[in-house]
Amino acid sequence: MNNENGIRTTRREFLKTAAAATAAVAAVGVPRPGYVAEGGPLKIGLIGCGGRGTGAAQNALAASEAAGIPVQLVALADAFKDQVDRARERLQGQKARENVKLADETCFAGLDAYQKLLATDLDYVILATPPGFRPIHFEAAIAAKKNVFCEKPVGTDAVGIRKFMAAAKKSEEMKLSVVAGTQRRHDRNYRETIKKIQAGEIGDLLAARAYWCGGPVFKARERKPEWSDLEWQMRAWYSFCWLCGDNIVEQHVHNLDVINWALGGHPVSAFASGGRAWKTNEPYMGNIWDNFSVDYEYKVGNRTVHMLSMSRHWVNCAGANGEAVVGSKRESNCRDNLGAKAEGGGEAAMVQEHMDLMNSIIGKGPHMNEAMQVAESSFTAILGRETAYTGRRLGWDELLNSDLDLLPKELTFKAKIPAPPVPIPGSGPGAERPKPAGRKKAAKAKA
Amino acid sequence: MEQRNNPGITRRGFLKTAAAATAGAVVLGAPRPGYVAESGPLKIGLIGCGGRGSGAARDALRAAEIAGVPVQLVALADVFKDKVDAAKKRFMESKGGGLRESIKLTDEMCFSGLDCHEKLLKSDVNYVILATPPGFRPMHFAAAVEAKKHIFTEKPVATDAVGTRKFMAAAKKSEELKLSVVAGTQRRHTLSFIETIKKIHDGKIGEILAARCYDCRGPVFHAKERDPKWSDLEWQIRAWYSYCWLSGDQIVEQAIHSIDAMNWALGAHPVRAFGSGGRAWKTKEQEYMGNIWDNISVDYEYEIGGRTVHMATLTRHWVNSDGIVAEVVVGTQRESDCRDNLGEPLKDEGESGSIQEHIDLINSITGKGRYYNEAMQIAETTFTAIFGREAAYTGRKLTWDGLLNSDLDLLPKELSFEAKIPAPPIPVPGTGPGAEPAKGGKKAGGKKREK
Repeated sequence: MNNENGIRTTRREFLKTAAAATAAVAAVGVPRPGYVAEGGPLKIGLIGCGGRGTGAAQNALAASEAAGIPVQLVALADAFKDQVDRARERLQGQKARENVKLADETCFAGLDAYQKLLATDLDYVILATPPGFRPIHFEAAIAAKKNVFCEKPVGTDAVGIRKFMAAAKKSEEMKLSVVAGTQRRHDRNYRETIKKIQAGEIGDLLAARAYWCGGPVFKARERKPEWSDLEWQMRAWYSFCWLCGDNIVEQHVHNLDVINWALGGHPVSAFASGGRAWKTNEPYMGNIWDNFSVDYEYKVGNRTVHMLSMSRHWVNCAGANGEAVVGSKRESNCRDNLGAKAEGGGEAAMVQEHMDLMNSIIGKGPHMNEAMQVAESSFTAILGRETAYTGRRLGWDELLNSDLDLLPKELTFKAKIPAPPVPIPGSGPGAERPKPAGRKKAAKAKA
Repeated sequence: MEQRNNPGITRRGFLKTAAAATAGAVVLGAPRPGYVAESGPLKIGLIGCGGRGSGAARDALRAAEIAGVPVQLVALADVFKDKVDAAKKRFMESKGGGLRESIKLTDEMCFSGLDCHEKLLKSDVNYVILATPPGFRPMHFAAAVEAKKHIFTEKPVATDAVGTRKFMAAAKKSEELKLSVVAGTQRRHTLSFIETIKKIHDGKIGEILAARCYDCRGPVFHAKERDPKWSDLEWQIRAWYSYCWLSGDQIVEQAIHSIDAMNWALGAHPVRAFGSGGRAWKTKEQEYMGNIWDNISVDYEYEIGGRTVHMATLTRHWVNSDGIVAEVVVGTQRESDCRDNLGEPLKDEGESGSIQEHIDLINSITGKGRYYNEAMQIAETTFTAIFGREAAYTGRKLTWDGLLNSDLDLLPKELSFEAKIPAPPIPVPGTGPGAEPAKGGKKAGGKKREK
C-alpha cells in the first residue's frame, strides 16, 4: 500500500470512526496532550514483554506504516529480565526493524520496571502485562501523562476496576488518548453492522448470545526451584485468577464487549454456573475454572434483555467464538453487515486500533478515549465470573462497590504468597448471605 | 377446597384440556381398551415404592375421588422388600376417609426383587404407575405396554439413547393398542400453563425468537452411606440419584419439567445442542456423590418456521447458592413465563397439575374424557434433556438424530445383585470415544488468530 493511498484510506477511516465514536470529539488537526514528539516520530514504550506485548508493538509498527505516521519503539519493561531480552531480540531481529530503537538504558526489568519506563519521554505506552497489574500500571501511566494503548482486560477484581475507572476519568479530564485492545471496535465489519443495529435495522433487541469456547491456555508448566511464589504465579499467570481474571475475563471480554456495544450499555445483573470439568489439582493449572455459562440481564429501553454467555477452556471439544443479537426483525452476528455487501479493504483491526490511537494523539483523527468502555467490558466479565464462583445472583452496582480484591497483600518476590484455592460456589465469605431473621431465630431456638 | 369434589368443575377442566390437546381426540364416552373393570373399580398397581411413587399413588386416589370413579390401590412392587413393606405400612395407616377405603393391599399383591414389575403386571391391575429410578423406565414401560396396561409414567422415561429408543418403540405400540398414557410432567395438566401456552401458540406474544429455562436448586442425595452387605447394584439403586445410568443427572431428572414446557411452547424438540458444566463443589472422594455433575448449561437450537431459535438452559445442584426454576419465551411482542396467562386473570385455578394429570388419565381410560397418550411426547422431552447432558459431557456440538441413533447405552450389562458393577466414572469432556470430534469440524476458536 503506497503512502498516499494509505493516508486517504486512513482518512476515510477517521471519519467513520468519528461517526461511530461515543467519546467526545475534539477538533481535528490539533495535537493532543501527551504528544511530546512534536513532528518527530511518536515514541512508544512497551510494558509487558510477553507474546501479546511483543505482538502489540509489532501491530503498532505496522500501523505506523499504514497510517504514514512515523514511530519509534524506544523502551521496554517487564518484571523479568529474560522476558525483556527475548522481546528485544525478537523485535530487533524482525524484518521491519528500522523503527526499533532500543538501548540498554531504556530496557527495564523488575517489579518497578514500569515506573522507570514511565519516567522517560514517550508519546504512548502499550500496557500488556498480565491483567491483574493493569489498574496499577494504567494509573501510573495517566499520572505520568502518557497516552495509552491498553490491552484487555483491564482488571481482575472490583477494587482494581474502581482504581482503573478513577484513572480513566482522570485521563478524560486530561484529554489523553486511550485505545483498548478490544479490537472488534476497530473492525470495519463490526462497526458497520453495529451502526445498523443501533439504527434499529434489526428491530427491537430481544436477546443476545456470546461465546468463547476454545482450548486451554497455559504459560509456565513447571516451577523452577529458584522461583519465589510471586515469580511462579506470574510465569504461570493464565492459571491464577488474580492475574488473568479467568478465561471469561481474559478472552471472552472481546465478545462481551461487542454485546455491551450493540445493546448500548452494561448488564445490570448476572446469574451463572460453571466449574472444572476436566482440570485437576496439578499446580500449573492454578485456581481458575475451565468453564462458565452466564445469564446476563440488560436494561434496554424499558425491556429486560437476556444474554447467554458461554466460555470455556476444554480440550478436544467443539469450539465456538462469536456474538449474536436477536432483533424483532432479524438476527445478526454483529459483523454480517445485515447481509449487505461489505465495502472491503481496511486494515486488520489489531493494526487499525493503533492507527486510530496514533491519529488521535497527533490530532489528525477524532479524540479516542476507550478507557471507561473497556473498564465496563472487563467488569462485565468479572460480574459473570463472580456470580458463577459464588453461586449468587449479583447486581452490577453491588459487585462494583464490593471489597473484592484479589491482589496479594505484599507484591514482592520475597513474600510468601500461597496459591489461592479453586473457588467453590456456596463457600467462602463471598457466599455467605444474610439469612431471614425468622429462620435465624428458629435455628437458634433449636440449638 | 369444596370445588375439588365438584365434578362440574372437573368436567370443565377436561374440556379445556381437550381444546389444548394436540393428540387426536377419540369419541368421548366409550371405554378404552384395557379398561377391564367397566362396572368395577379401576385397579392401580404401583411399580417403584419410593417417595415419588407413593406420592403418585396418593395423587391417583385423590384424582379418582374427584373424577367420581371407583378406584383401588391393589398392588405394589419394588426391587427392595423393605421399600415395599414401608410403603404398604404407610398406605395402610394413611388417614382420610375415602383414601383409606380405596387401599386394598394384600401380601400376595406386594412384590419385590428385580423382576417385581413382571409379577405385578401379570395381575389384573389396569392402571400402572411407573415410578422407579428412570434408568429402569424403558424396560418397565415396554413390559407394561406388552401387558396392555394403562400407564401413568413418571418423568423422565430413560437416561440414554438406547433406552429412549426402546421407550419410543413401546410408545408407538401403546398408540396402536389405544392404551392411555399420561406422563408426570404435570405442567401439561396445569391450567395456568395450558391457558398461557394456548395463547402463545395463537401468536399472542408474536413470533417466538428466543427462550430460556432454569432448574437451579440444592442437591438431592438418597443413600449416603453404603451398608457393607449391599452389592454394587443395590448400592447404586439405593443411591440412585447420584448415578447417571439411573437418574440421568439432574438436567434429565428435574430440569425435564422446564425443558418440557419449552418443547411444548416452541412446538418442537431441538435439533442441535451445545453444552458446558461440570462439578464445581462435589468431590470425587465421597462415594455417595456418584458420577453425576453438579451443573449443566445448554444452548439448544430449535428450527421453527424457517428460523433457528436458541433456548438457554441452566441447571444445577448447588449448596448455599441462589436458585431459580422458570421457563421464559421471548416473542416479538412480549415475553411470557408460560404461566402468566399474558397478564389476564385465570377463570379458575384448576386442580394442581399433579392431581389433574391423574384425573385426565382416569377419564381417558373410562372414556369420560378425551384420549391421552403422552408417551411419545415425554420420550422426546426426556431425550431433549439427555441431548443437552451429552453435549456437555462430551464437549461436542451434537445433533438430535445423531445422538438418538447412537449406541449410547448406560445400563450395566448384567443387572443382577451378584454382578460386579463398578461405579461408572465421572464424565470428563474431551475424553472417551464419544468425545472424538467429527472430521472436518472447525477447530476451537476458529481460524483467525486472536489475542
